[in-house]
Amino acid sequence: MICLVQAAGMLDLVQDLGRPGYARFGVPQGGAADPGALIQANRLVGNPLQAAGLELTLRGPALAFPEGGIVALTGADMNAARDSGLAAPRYQTLWLHPGEVLRLGAVRDGCRAYLGVGGGIATEPVMQSRATFLAGGFGGFAGRPLRTGDRLPLGPPPFPPPYARLSLPAPENDPALRVIPGPQGPAFDDDALLHFYGGEFRVSALADRAGLRLEGPRLRAPGGGEGPSQALLPGAVQVPPDGRPIVLAWDGPVTGGYPVIAGVISADLPRLAQLAPGDRISFRAVSLEEARAAWQARLAQWEAQLEWL
Amino acid sequence: MLRAGFAEVEDCAGAEDAVLVRLLPGQAPGGALLRLLQAEEAPRDAPPPRVVEIPVRYGGAEGPDLAELAARAGLSEADAAALHGDAEYRVAYLGFQPGFAYLTGTPAVLAAPRLATPRARVPAGSLAIGGAYSGIYPSAAPGGWRIIGRTEQLLFDPLRDPPALLAPGDRVRFIPL
Repeated sequence: MICLVQAAGMLDLVQDLGRPGYARFGVPQGGAADPGALIQANRLVGNPLQAAGLELTLRGPALAFPEGGIVALTGADMNAARDSGLAAPRYQTLWLHPGEVLRLGAVRDGCRAYLGVGGGIATEPVMQSRATFLAGGFGGFAGRPLRTGDRLPLGPPPFPPPYARLSLPAPENDPALRVIPGPQGPAFDDDALLHFYGGEFRVSALADRAGLRLEGPRLRAPGGGEGPSQALLPGAVQVPPDGRPIVLAWDGPVTGGYPVIAGVISADLPRLAQLAPGDRISFRAVSLEEARAAWQARLAQWEAQLEWL
Repeated sequence: MLRAGFAEVEDCAGAEDAVLVRLLPGQAPGGALLRLLQAEEAPRDAPPPRVVEIPVRYGGAEGPDLAELAARAGLSEADAAALHGDAEYRVAYLGFQPGFAYLTGTPAVLAAPRLATPRARVPAGSLAIGGAYSGIYPSAAPGGWRIIGRTEQLLFDPLRDPPALLAPGDRVRFIPL
């Protein structure tokens, strides 16, 4: 089975849950920016949770399924439509007819949508993962975004065909991203900390899978913004010498020398996936215990989305 | 450490003076992991370091910054190349891009600050000096290190296991061509 890219979107990437374990070779884990959304899409189409799907950014593609297919859309709403005229709601299994085209448009709210496909996208794994790593030019489909005319190989469809529906994710009631102090957090002066935790930031146009550069109050970095190189993680908030914080994202560098003021907690990392240039964000400090509890709450929230199978 | 089989560890990486241990989301470090991290000495069962030899052409069009570094050290270009090529290097850690190894051991007179304005494109295989480190760009990238030579050795291949030629702890010798 295949899926044919009839018209590519802005940035369509094959992603799975990434390739942990290669940081020591300079390779970030990468994978779906919102792993919960990809996992939900996989559940809806009867795939193993680590199967590869598509991550679609800001504007989605038109995809044809010559032999039909079982798909599900999660994450941001991209006004999906089906050639058959049937509705294409998110968070629900969709059975596409042979030859049917699924068309996605511009995002309504948020930034990234996910498409799960029954059988998974069956490109060759690289370093044990099908995640596209753009900076390295490997993984996914030839290490690059999809282009019009690409033919994506699909795995054998699940049998019996699944059908399920999930409720839409609950809206976030806390506008702030929750963080724990970074390794250099205590080295920042009171003025910088006051601005970081009290100020409002805007996601600049320089926001991609490697990191999100923020506009807002300038933060004075200790040591002039240069320090010994250290290992980094997605969610690390770096402050370079120009004082404009950068939130490292999924494909960000695994080491760097800028001081790290704070780290976004695992439970809130998926929220970064839905931030687009111009969005406003702020930061709120939590304890390590609160961060772990928040992760459990996030898992429970994903579990509670299940309406019926 | 991953090989030592700590169930709560997802990944780990080191850099200059710290080690990062990434736990699975929601996990807390177990007692055995904390004891290892707090131990004063590295475990003694570490294998002896590998020695990796990398052929390099120094200077010329492939090492455009060698002349300036040599002049700064009061050396001829050939002497600067010989000095760099005779030293033994150690892989401190990898980062910046896949397979990029930060090598300690650069002779002190050749240490050089990064360019104020990075080059838009440093060719793959470029051997360069940044501060006290030497390193080789595995693939073309923007970069501010001083380029002193080039190798044709493949530094990173995602289809190889392990994907990187160099790993932390390896010794590196450059073979001038």
